[in-house]
Amino acid sequence: MSRPGFLAVDVVGALNIVGTLVAYLSLSTLVPAAVALGYGEPVWPFLAAGALAGGIGGAIALATRGDHRLNVREGFLVVSLTWLAAAALGALPYIFSGDPQLDRPIDAYFEGMSGFSTTGGSIVTNVEELPRGLLMWRQFSQWLGGIGIIVLALAVLPRLRVGGRQLLEHEMPGPEIETLSTRIRDTARRVWILYIALTIVLFGIFVALWATGVDEEMSPFHALAHAFTTIPTAGFSTKLNSIEAFAPTTHWVVIVFMVLGGINFALMYRALVRRQPRTAVRDQELRLYLALLALGSLVVVTEIWTEDVLSGWEAVRAGIFTAVSTMTTTGFSVKDYNTWPALALMTLVGLMFVGGSAGSTTGSVKVVRHLLLGKILRREIDQTLHPEVVLPVRLNRTVVEERTLRAVSSFVLLYIGIFVLGAAVLAIDAARTGLELSAFDAVSVSASMLSNVGPAFGIGGPLGSFEPFSDFSTLVMTGLMWLGRLEVIPIVVLVSRHYWRS
Amino acid sequence: MRIFVIGAGQVGATIVQALHDEHELTVFDLDEERLAAISQRYDVHTVEGNGASRRVLSAAGITEADLLIACTSRDESNIVAAMISKACSRRTTTIVRTTNPEYLDVWREGQLDVDFIVSSEVETAYAISRTIGVPAARQTDVFAEGQVQMAEFDVTEKADPSLLGVNLREARLPPDSRVAAIIRGDSVVIPRGDENIRPGDRIVIIGSPQSAQAWGALIAPGTGKVRDVVIFGAGRAGTAVARLLLEQGIGVRLIEASRDRARYVASELPQARVYHATGFDPDFLERERIADAHVAIFAMRDDMKNHFGAALAKVHGTSFTVAIVHDASSQEVLERTGIDVTVNPRQITAEEIVRFAHDPRTHQVVMLEGDRFEVLDITTRAGSEFVGLAFKDMPIRGALIGAIVRDGQAVFPRSDDMLRPGDRAIIFTESQRVPEVEKAL
Repeated sequence: MSRPGFLAVDVVGALNIVGTLVAYLSLSTLVPAAVALGYGEPVWPFLAAGALAGGIGGAIALATRGDHRLNVREGFLVVSLTWLAAAALGALPYIFSGDPQLDRPIDAYFEGMSGFSTTGGSIVTNVEELPRGLLMWRQFSQWLGGIGIIVLALAVLPRLRVGGRQLLEHEMPGPEIETLSTRIRDTARRVWILYIALTIVLFGIFVALWATGVDEEMSPFHALAHAFTTIPTAGFSTKLNSIEAFAPTTHWVVIVFMVLGGINFALMYRALVRRQPRTAVRDQELRLYLALLALGSLVVVTEIWTEDVLSGWEAVRAGIFTAVSTMTTTGFSVKDYNTWPALALMTLVGLMFVGGSAGSTTGSVKVVRHLLLGKILRREIDQTLHPEVVLPVRLNRTVVEERTLRAVSSFVLLYIGIFVLGAAVLAIDAARTGLELSAFDAVSVSASMLSNVGPAFGIGGPLGSFEPFSDFSTLVMTGLMWLGRLEVIPIVVLVSRHYWRS
Repeated sequence: MRIFVIGAGQVGATIVQALHDEHELTVFDLDEERLAAISQRYDVHTVEGNGASRRVLSAAGITEADLLIACTSRDESNIVAAMISKACSRRTTTIVRTTNPEYLDVWREGQLDVDFIVSSEVETAYAISRTIGVPAARQTDVFAEGQVQMAEFDVTEKADPSLLGVNLREARLPPDSRVAAIIRGDSVVIPRGDENIRPGDRIVIIGSPQSAQAWGALIAPGTGKVRDVVIFGAGRAGTAVARLLLEQGIGVRLIEASRDRARYVASELPQARVYHATGFDPDFLERERIADAHVAIFAMRDDMKNHFGAALAKVHGTSFTVAIVHDASSQEVLERTGIDVTVNPRQITAEEIVRFAHDPRTHQVVMLEGDRFEVLDITTRAGSEFVGLAFKDMPIRGALIGAIVRDGQAVFPRSDDMLRPGDRAIIFTESQRVPEVEKAL
């Protein structure tokens, strides 16, 4: 055993896995390299980034090889470190390419984290000036991060010497993972196949819109780029004004696929592939998810129409698009909503805390946790009046374990705590550096980062960028994205004394 | 018939008591004393040994047996005994007693090679639900797929005055029903038209389910439809009753002292409201308005707890209490001290088994008053001496045809109706006349 006596965690074993994962993940730089090659741009930044990350990852894996018995504890460390390392891999091509908008390591790391965590907030002030290869790398990193790096590893890699189920539990969004087969690797595979299939379908639709002249802007390059960031509800765009650059029909297509991206993939697999649409129709989370999307859209549309910001179909389209994009934590925009009335903006901040379904590509709290929290509260009230009554909480007729319920409650508390802390730190730091950031803006930035939405209000709005923020604030926002993507707990566990000691 | 009875506990003893006269019994048990107690009272052969052992069964001559009744308290032993019996002797019919309703489901789906399975819990649940379906009935049963019901009532001064002391022929009785027996003190009368019903009598009626309800209203005026039932004890029996009542759309509250069990039952029965409480805390009873329930059922494992709980519920004003009683000797104590109805799962199980043990044409048999009377369900042969006779002219003594099932429909005969071949007759009779009645029809 290579474990030091005072540590209860096999750090070396964890590093071994992280190194292996990074080494494999570095192969993904070949995709933007190919794009760069095709457009006659320099290829070396991608190859160098891939070689460096692959070299470091491989070296770590080699240096730490041995007989490791990895357990639940190491899982937290593996997942947390893997995602930090993935963001670093994401940053390398930006640094090597020397583009003035992204070549500072802190900025590049922010962009890398915003990519893999599918947040979509950018430090870049004008994306249209970036080379094509770099643009595609931004989009592709979001696609890789969308359903999860470890899910990908489980599906593709020959063998991970660790309990894949635990790792997956930390990475897959939601309180519990839903399996599609007895072997976790088959579940990972099926989820990825569905993910790829949805991406291909959307790409096909985009290209068809372009080919039929409905949307002249949606060339195959942009079609692939946006297919890569719509299904994972990620939000990076190759256009300065995001989806606004495309035709209204495209807006509706994007709305539909953002909604799909927010549905539990296991449920979607059952409904589509196994032809059990009933399970989907009856699913309580899916119903609430769709109901909340409809309600949020209705409020936003009503607000902007009655306040004469927009009217007619334009109000309907922009309202629905913005509500859906915000709730599914995508972060695309079709209108600069900074000037929208206060109630609409409040609604959008509220939607940031909803998110999509568990097991989807969205960030934030997730609908199922809200659903369970509501049931917990209802039970609490009943039990105050009738102390002896025994009321199991059910989800889709199945009893939810008390442990899970406690985890949901503490997750929501922790989530809100971190959000408040993040907003406070950003506001204080803005005051320190003289950045003009209203309290509401700070709140929206913290919520947007933690929920992996992307754009916020004020300077971080849909047409703005996070470039004006100080280096310290940039790091804080990067941390919020990381916490949000892994749903807080696996990272918070690491700062506990009980984690490291036996 | 040669019958093997495996297990000489309460169920086994009750079965032996009911069957020893007509049949040749061999009783198996591991407990020497139990066997001694049985062989002292009845003329049966006893074998001290494991009934689930092939060696023991073969040595006792299983191939000669017509029927094997496995009624120990251990489900798995019973099933193994029945399977070994089937393997050794295909012709031997097997009956298994189980306390686990799951085995009943498995058997119904044809996945257990056993001829008949009786679940004590499910039978008890049926008995209780029937009892509270007709609140004043002491014991009721159904025949002919639910078209014919039999109910036993205790007649008190509260009964409708138009009933008391009036000759049955003149009394305005609920249609489609007959008084099968009047039990007065030690005597049992199968009444003719010139008998009358008095307070203190216990009467047995056979009739349509509606008429049984009407009888309930006559005997205990003012008892309405049950909507709210509280069950104390969520063990297997309590849960089985709860499930059955919930299926009938009755609101059920369950009170269970074990936290884990309460949680389990709450997850199994989403429509029921489950409390984690002993049921003996007056504050709790008051706060949850337990006394407002129409019926309180006591299904705890301990007879004394059931007794105390029922007494406490009565103090709090519960109008109707039912208790599951495990020890036959406490049954009398409970009934005499104000518990309205008691149900003994072992007796019910034994009845069900005995019912099956009778003539194959006899679908159902109920034992009443110990084993002095039985209700038979017999299909009339074409050559029966009663075919073509009007009911009023039938020469059988000590038997009464309560209803007949003709072409699947229950008919409640008037005195000049005639019996036809193929009719299923629901007959109330004295036990010693069972062979005579079976032969005659």
